[in-house]
Amino acid sequence: MDLREEAVGDITVLEVKGRIDSGTAPVLGEKLTALLGAPGRRLVLDLRQIDYISSAGFRILLLSAKRADEAGNRFVLCGISGKVRQLFDLGGFLDLFAISSSREEGIAAVQ
Amino acid sequence: MTTVEQTISNDAEGVEQIALLMDELGAAHQLPAGAVTDMQVALDEVLTNIVNYAHSDGRPHDIRVRLTVTADALETEIEDDGRPFDPLSIPPPDLGAPLRERAVGGLGIHFVKRLMNEVRYTLVDDRNHLVLRKLLTGQTEADARGSS
Repeated sequence: MDLREEAVGDITVLEVKGRIDSGTAPVLGEKLTALLGAPGRRLVLDLRQIDYISSAGFRILLLSAKRADEAGNRFVLCGISGKVRQLFDLGGFLDLFAISSSREEGIAAVQ
Repeated sequence: MTTVEQTISNDAEGVEQIALLMDELGAAHQLPAGAVTDMQVALDEVLTNIVNYAHSDGRPHDIRVRLTVTADALETEIEDDGRPFDPLSIPPPDLGAPLRERAVGGLGIHFVKRLMNEVRYTLVDDRNHLVLRKLLTGQTEADARGSS
């Protein structure tokens, strides 16, 4: 798994590449905790280039979304399609997370 | 028919080895990417469960993984010496709870059941045997949902 962080004004876009599984999820978790650690943060998590995400990854996303919600941060996912979308659907996550259809829409959504 | 067998230790590195082995097998046999991915997700769930919950003695244990490619399916058998555990006995998770109440317990097994065409559990000589089967043609219910 590779993580690439980009600043768009005061918004952070974090792009993930590869697999989010039990081995890599803790690394993503640390990054998300750091990025969402203070109030007023705005984060777009771009999953367009991931191969798949297992329940270990969903656990991290769920924790991050809960923390963001409680801290009043804005946290949006984008790039959910194909196999990854199917996994989100199976887990009942499509309606649970804030999901934008593209990175640009994600950036607009957290502004 | 091709069978590859690998014995891993019950740790994160072992789980990673199997994901990589599945990549190699998929490439060597030009298997459909979706079937390989589904098996990789299922293997991550099953092996992580074994690593985290099967043993309480804190000592290293072997997990045997056998991957088989047939003309129409990808089949995996996972064998461990942990406490007897039938994943099929786990109730489905509550997928309708709102964000603040949402838990992920049971989600991994739910993925395994829905992504595979067949899951069989047996306990033989105090060892857990789990067989996961994914058809290379045709669809699971999950595939049909994803393409609709």
